[in-house]
Amino acid sequence: MIISFWINDEPKQWEISLNDTLLTVLRNEGYFGAKWGGCQAGECGACTVLLDNKPVNSCSMLAVQAHNHHIRTVESIGEHPERGWSESRGLHPIQQSLVESGAIQCGYCTPAMVLAAKSLLDNQPDPSESEVREALAPILCRCTGYVKPVQAILRAAARQRGESVSLFTEPELPFMPEWPSKTPPPSLEDSEPGSGSVQPITQTRVMPRIWTAPQVESWSQVGKPEKKVDAIKLVQGKPAFTADIEMRGMLVAKILHSPVAHARIKRIDASKARALPGVAAVLTWQDIPRVVYSTAGQSDPIPGPLDTFSLDNKVRFVGDRVAFVAAESEDIANQALKLIEVEYEALPAIVDMGDALKPGAAIIHDEPEYVNFSDSNPRQNLAGKIRIDIGSVEKGFAEADRIIEGDYEVPKVQQSSIEPHVVVTYWDEDDRLVIRTSTQVPFHVRRILAPVLGLPVKRIRVIKPRIGGGFGGKQEVLIEDVAAHLTIATRRPVRFEYDRAEEFIASRSRHPMRIHMKTGVKADGTITANEMFALSDTGSYGCHAITVTGNTGQKAMALYVGDGDYRKSPNIRFYADVVYTNTPPAGAFRGYGVPQGFWPVERHMERIARIMGFDPLEFRLKNAIHAGEFQPFSTAWNEGREPHPETVQTVGLEECVRQGRAAISWDQKFDHPGWHVVPGKPHLRRGIGVAMVMQGTAIPYLDMGGASIKMNDDGSFNLLVGATDLGTGSDTVLGQMAAEVLGVPVEDVIVYSSDTDFTPFDKGAYASSTTYISGTAVVRAAEQVADRIRTRAAAMVQVKTGKVTRPEDITLRDRQAFALEGDSVSMAEIALESLHHSEQEQIMAVASYKSPVSPPPFAAQFAEVTVDIETGKINVDKLVMAVDSGIIVNPITASGQIEGGMSQALGYAVCEEMLYDKDGRARENDWKNYHIFRANEMPEMETIFVETFEPSHPFGVKAVAEIPLDGVAPAVGNAILDACGAEIWAIPATPERIWRAIQEKNVK
Amino acid sequence: MILEYFRPKELNEALSLLGRQAPLTIPLGGGTSLSHGEDMPVAVVDLQDLPINQVARQGNRLKIGATVTLQTLFSHSETSPALAEALRHEATLHIRNSATVAGSLVTADGRSPFAAAMLALDARLTIEPGNKIISLGDWLPQRSSRNRRDLIVEIEIPLQASLKYEMVSRAPDDQPIVCVAVCVWPSGRTRVALGGSGDAPILAMDGPEANGAEAAVENAYINAADAFASGEYRSQAAKILVKRMLSAGEK
Repeated sequence: MIISFWINDEPKQWEISLNDTLLTVLRNEGYFGAKWGGCQAGECGACTVLLDNKPVNSCSMLAVQAHNHHIRTVESIGEHPERGWSESRGLHPIQQSLVESGAIQCGYCTPAMVLAAKSLLDNQPDPSESEVREALAPILCRCTGYVKPVQAILRAAARQRGESVSLFTEPELPFMPEWPSKTPPPSLEDSEPGSGSVQPITQTRVMPRIWTAPQVESWSQVGKPEKKVDAIKLVQGKPAFTADIEMRGMLVAKILHSPVAHARIKRIDASKARALPGVAAVLTWQDIPRVVYSTAGQSDPIPGPLDTFSLDNKVRFVGDRVAFVAAESEDIANQALKLIEVEYEALPAIVDMGDALKPGAAIIHDEPEYVNFSDSNPRQNLAGKIRIDIGSVEKGFAEADRIIEGDYEVPKVQQSSIEPHVVVTYWDEDDRLVIRTSTQVPFHVRRILAPVLGLPVKRIRVIKPRIGGGFGGKQEVLIEDVAAHLTIATRRPVRFEYDRAEEFIASRSRHPMRIHMKTGVKADGTITANEMFALSDTGSYGCHAITVTGNTGQKAMALYVGDGDYRKSPNIRFYADVVYTNTPPAGAFRGYGVPQGFWPVERHMERIARIMGFDPLEFRLKNAIHAGEFQPFSTAWNEGREPHPETVQTVGLEECVRQGRAAISWDQKFDHPGWHVVPGKPHLRRGIGVAMVMQGTAIPYLDMGGASIKMNDDGSFNLLVGATDLGTGSDTVLGQMAAEVLGVPVEDVIVYSSDTDFTPFDKGAYASSTTYISGTAVVRAAEQVADRIRTRAAAMVQVKTGKVTRPEDITLRDRQAFALEGDSVSMAEIALESLHHSEQEQIMAVASYKSPVSPPPFAAQFAEVTVDIETGKINVDKLVMAVDSGIIVNPITASGQIEGGMSQALGYAVCEEMLYDKDGRARENDWKNYHIFRANEMPEMETIFVETFEPSHPFGVKAVAEIPLDGVAPAVGNAILDACGAEIWAIPATPERIWRAIQEKNVK
Repeated sequence: MILEYFRPKELNEALSLLGRQAPLTIPLGGGTSLSHGEDMPVAVVDLQDLPINQVARQGNRLKIGATVTLQTLFSHSETSPALAEALRHEATLHIRNSATVAGSLVTADGRSPFAAAMLALDARLTIEPGNKIISLGDWLPQRSSRNRRDLIVEIEIPLQASLKYEMVSRAPDDQPIVCVAVCVWPSGRTRVALGGSGDAPILAMDGPEANGAEAAVENAYINAADAFASGEYRSQAAKILVKRMLSAGEK
């Protein structure tokens, strides 16, 4: 059918299929600004367009419904300010504001936000914060926590009304208030609690508060809120993502997923599917080589069992792979899936992790090719086993006055990046296989898939375009092999994209765990021994099984070493069994095992403090690790490799507690009975809770990143990094560090990441390592380039002035090389001189870095909640996080990491969970049942940075990306306890769980 | 699989299309459900040009055209705060801009706040052909593929009755685990609808006064168990909510 409509005021007539959604048609015609979040039900809003000036989801309306209507897409909103000799209308004020406010992380939902904001401000030029939040509520953002998008739209509105808004370009970094205050704090007992709707606040809040380290003063780029280097393209909805590409003859791939949890494929017949017109290939396990591998995107050798095949004659969970199809269209591919005949021989399924180790349990991995790692044992369904003893807990328990135990549980949850897993593969003109993929680990993809595909590494090129969020889910070599096998089979380009249901049933998730804690404490509050046993469920494959679970102990059990002599020789035990079950595999998810550890540790510390009558803050700080002490686990364990003892150099935890408790008014709330009740609402109780946490920064002696820098004719630089910006802003902070060393503004550093053909190796974006590891590589390369520039500049100044000038006399700043007496030459002059005029050379350098240490960031996280003690309904009113992440390179991107991380952790605390019925079928396969917080339901969030200078990094940085995941859930759990005495042992803290805990307490 | 598409301007034309024996011909509202993909081969009649998209007050009744969008009803001056609250929880703005009131009732499951509110309000549907008037409570259990050709043209709700809506959910804008809609008429007549579970919201009570409401909801939801909550919890939480809603008096 031919339909007529106006797109961005231009009349169009397009031939469409009646079954096409509006989104499909727009993307087919090259309007790539409308993104697909994997659903057809308007769950995420990434596909937003304006229909007759109203925002709608283009994924959940038929294209034919738009006949005779007006459609506006992001492509019509604004454009890059520099367009050569042509005039540019520049970015729209909304786009400008989103860019400068740090509202863009991965940028996948940004075009939708631009359109939603435009529709709002066209109708309401002076919106309240609540109105902005309602307007953004249809658009799920997994990166930002909505703080900065909301502020950006308020700023844009103010600017459009002609009001001035403050600039961040040269900010006054606010110093902390003094604490404790000499005057008594004002009473808060009469104030209203947060009610779930956000209180309107008209001033904009983009910058975090920072307790600034003195070193920052002398820098011009590091420590400044620079705009993200990729923001301008993302805010325009440019075709920057994996799927935003058209290729002639490109096929669409689909997977036939297993409908049963555990079975052998007795017979599979694809002949009818292959005979369907438009089907290019159908692959079953009989058609491709049987190569055992691991999908975990980690360095060689993989620290885990090899237990996976691209296709196997056995299925191990509902959603496992049975066959691949490539066809001319999605419809044909879907029809072909239905024509594949499969006969399954059902096997008993293990759904509950508690059943995996029972004698006589079904064996999930009985394939002869299985390769063990460490203590894995497939005959027992054991993917990994950890036994770490530091000191002697038996001795510590004997010295304790009291031993307190408890059992805790954490759920399986989903990364839920808004951009699904997506890959495009093709043979290039040299017959090399190109894999364009949304990945956090391009170099691991190339190395791991080479044997699986039967190609040498050198005949594979992996391109990582912009990534629409990953959060660990894309540290998996998850679907690249599917498209690659089909390209090899058909010799044609293939696009494969998961839909949202596949993301839930056939992707990766956070390992669920059941954890027992046992702690010995002296009457004075000294911890004498601390023991954790974790039963961890890796699902049907052992990807990340031992490394995630190892982290659970290695980070969460390292924080409390005890006091006095126990600091020198703490008694800590961490034992874990990682088991296989017939559920979807777990894998890497931001925090990587540590959130699983801090739920039990921090709930347990709270219980100890309350049972023994200690102040919860003082008890924790008394036992927490100090600077100068060993990270206790570094003496005993290193992911199955040789351990290297590490001394922790910087611990800002006490200052974090001081700042956090002031920010949330702990002293006016905790233990003040009047504050806990809500006047006029006898069924409501308020509570406040805390958790202290630590993480790591990269994997020592293993994680390596490389960087390459070259100088251009105009004195600009290309910075090529293998590091994988998946929306975090790492390209920007790496650019800032290079710019600082080179004495130029960030805009003169063109950052590119990543392509295995022309960027240096980097292990990828995981383990909180990029700013630290890749950043040091960048600084080292930049220092070499700066040395060459100083040498050339000294010679040029000497010629120009006749004064003797040495390279070490030269300082680089403001795009100039200055000699001692102020004589200077510009970067552009040095570039022309060296490239063209004399002693010609390309000024360039490469460098790489690995670290002997993994300096831990620390944080104090606080939560304030209101509990309905009759229904168990909980409202989280406020989250505060004071964090020591070392020096903050970019306060806007770093606080964006904290806000986004706290939002994900909030879901972990109260609503996110993946459950399976007895046959292993998922309860959640969409964002309706799996709830992610929307803009209109967020609590107030506050970020405080307590800067320390980590001496092992040139700019003193430590990690920031993962630690916000660690403490929200236990702080919320402890706040529930504080509010109503209910002990929550398992998250998420759903209304029924809280209600039952209140019933139990009332019975006692 | 959509085989044919029509966009009639006249109701009669729409009805004669919907009355065809083959292919199966069904109404298309905002498309927020139909666009997901339809297994059966169907022809669709897009209702967007039909004159059934107005909201009008008639005495003590509000007459809502079937293709009025959720957002139009949400922002209408006669829409009570409680109905607006239920609509806000029903769907996000972008879906409210597309989805129609009738389409939302056709596709509602037990977790639909809007359907629960309309059930408490004792909404009346006018269905063509035949100009049949049926209460939502009678119609909900009859929804099935058998009557997919039926066209709701209007939904009518009382304006003199006072509606309240409360829910418990995991997060403020999550789907309800349990929701309660209570409607009280000036005569004292009280209707209580429960949602949060099952295929449709259910009517727990319709009585001349509020007495017995707590026991009624407790009984009505005692077996409302699913993967999200137990029946015991749902019935107890519903009881608490209805007690509060009835004791809070007029606001």
